[in-house]
Amino acid sequence: MLKETPPPDNLVLGARDVRFDWSELPRHWVPDEPLATHLMNVLHLLLPAGERWFVEVFKQALPLIHDDDLRRDVLGFIGQEAMHAGAHQGVLDHFAAHGMDCGPFVDQVDWLFSRVMGDRPHLEGRRQTEWLVSRLAVIAAIEHVTAFMGDWILNADGLDAARTDPTMLDLLRWHGAEEVEHRSVAFNLYQHVDGRYLRRIQAMAMVAPMMFVLWRRGVRFMYAVDTELAGHRPPRVRDVRGTAARGVTPSLPHLTRKVLKYFARGYHPSQEGDTDQAVAYLASSPSARAAAERAA
Amino acid sequence: MRLPAELRRRGGADTLFGLLGLLGETMPTVAALSGVGRREPRPVERGLPLVVTEVAAAAGDVAVLRLADPASAPLPPWTPGCHVDVRLPSGGLRQYSLCGDPADRSAYRIAVRLVRDGRGGSAEVHALVPGSVVTVSGPRTAFHFTGGGPHLFVAGGIGITPILPMVAEAARRGEEWRLLYLGRSRDSLPFLDELARHGDRVTVRTDDEHGLPGPDLLAAYDGDGNGPQPGFAGGLAAAAVYCCGPAPLLALVREAARDARAFHAERFAPAPVVDGRPFTVKLAGTGRTVEVAADKTMLDALSDAVPSVAYSCRQGFCGTCRVTVLAGGIEHRDRFPERLRRDDEMMPCVSRAEGDHLIIDL
Ligand code: FES
Ligand SMILES: [Fe+2]
Ligand SMILES: [Fe+2]
Repeated sequence: MLKETPPPDNLVLGARDVRFDWSELPRHWVPDEPLATHLMNVLHLLLPAGERWFVEVFKQALPLIHDDDLRRDVLGFIGQEAMHAGAHQGVLDHFAAHGMDCGPFVDQVDWLFSRVMGDRPHLEGRRQTEWLVSRLAVIAAIEHVTAFMGDWILNADGLDAARTDPTMLDLLRWHGAEEVEHRSVAFNLYQHVDGRYLRRIQAMAMVAPMMFVLWRRGVRFMYAVDTELAGHRPPRVRDVRGTAARGVTPSLPHLTRKVLKYFARGYHPSQEGDTDQAVAYLASSPSARAAAERAA
Repeated sequence: MRLPAELRRRGGADTLFGLLGLLGETMPTVAALSGVGRREPRPVERGLPLVVTEVAAAAGDVAVLRLADPASAPLPPWTPGCHVDVRLPSGGLRQYSLCGDPADRSAYRIAVRLVRDGRGGSAEVHALVPGSVVTVSGPRTAFHFTGGGPHLFVAGGIGITPILPMVAEAARRGEEWRLLYLGRSRDSLPFLDELARHGDRVTVRTDDEHGLPGPDLLAAYDGDGNGPQPGFAGGLAAAAVYCCGPAPLLALVREAARDARAFHAERFAPAPVVDGRPFTVKLAGTGRTVEVAADKTMLDALSDAVPSVAYSCRQGFCGTCRVTVLAGGIEHRDRFPERLRRDDEMMPCVSRAEGDHLIIDL
């Protein structure tokens, strides 16, 4: 079978050696927006373990790939995700050094990815392969979410207006831009190894509610460890209406609409997000430009 | 699946994680059921045999080739900045930027400078004649033109090739742009004839007339665009700079464009191995022994032996290629944060053996 990869999926993907200095990071890095800050801090709780899990699962999938372009994309994807995990881990380390120990929550996330979603060495033959393929479907579903969140953060003028900490905003936008860059890879990999609709949407039917629940818990956890918020009542889901109205977080209806797009039979990630915008951001991002210079 | 103690609270297990544990126990079975009827992935062929339809000479020892489908089928679409991988008759694989018109789906145009005594394959491309067949894959892009001016394009010599379609696209969109085209002398610069139609948006700067370029090579563009200067409104700070050329020029432009709104350059292939000594690696899993030549990376040697070996950045910072070393000293050359790398781990994409021999867990 001869196949071509049309734009915007024909980007050569590569990891960028980004570094971030958190020494100046304020506790509420979206000033006066503790809820927005902690909603996005949940990314730091979930992503290090989650993205390292992506890397492990994708490494295992390499022998299943019979397409040189796809293999190249998957290898590029792996490096990008490894750097994402490392960058978010850096924020967690900074939190720990500044009196916000996220360990208890992170342990739960680690357990989720290593035990619930992790390897099952005892499985044999076909069952082993299908466990891998199902996890690839889960990753494709999560990558749809990361892609539209990446698209959101690249367009979130509200965060600029709120004078969000520039280093954190750069981390989030560098990450978001790479999510947009590689948004088709996990989907294309799933299509290559299986591609059937039912299995694809089954995965999203599990991923979306799970993310909602974990996010809710994560925010409540952050409120519990944030001593500056002692005495505040824990946030409620409907409080997101306020942050969304101020443009510092996406709104729940927006997120729901985006999730539902994945259920269209003709869905392909290239229909969502803007490669031009992502590449333009990476050419202006302080961290990505420093990384390019390091590589030259 | 037993819950770890920290997931229990008030004496009982946490409900959510209890449920997740159950989910974890059933999921492999669900996966096996979901997999019923799945077809094995079909191999995908990416190479396209194309025939050389035209060979022309351009200034500076450059051959300009048109490649088309033998049956005149339209070629895969591309955008400015794309390159193709060309498999030469000798088997060598080379990357060339597409320098034609993306709207013309009937042929790809590439331009190749002859590097005398070079091993880059340029002599082989120059030996191609109309009717020769090469295998082409792509187009892909590591130098994507995003649009949204003003743009400042900077090209050094044959580095003009990806820039040509960018310039044409910027002009077509009516976006503000300038091109600075550098080289040794005018007669070494290909495509000056094609660029002539853009008038004074194009500045040619040659070493023989102006001397070697220095740190101020973009200073002229920092004006307000109203004077005799070739700049544009907003100066350099408003511009997205796209640069393609030899490494020293790229470094110079990167520095000079520090305050530019954006800086785009083609991503580099990993640097060649320097100061490498040959050594052997034994794979503990299979007992195989792999020789690593002085000018090769250990990763290259490993992936020849084990094709499914994973890697990504090939520059020693992403950690994807890491392997565990069972015996032998390691010469670490990576940029991976040391606290995240165990003492017995190494990144074979850049790191090497301290001595003559390593045994690794693979
Ligand atoms: S491939 Fe990234 S560290 Fe070796
Ligand atoms: Fe990511
Ligand atoms: Fe991703």
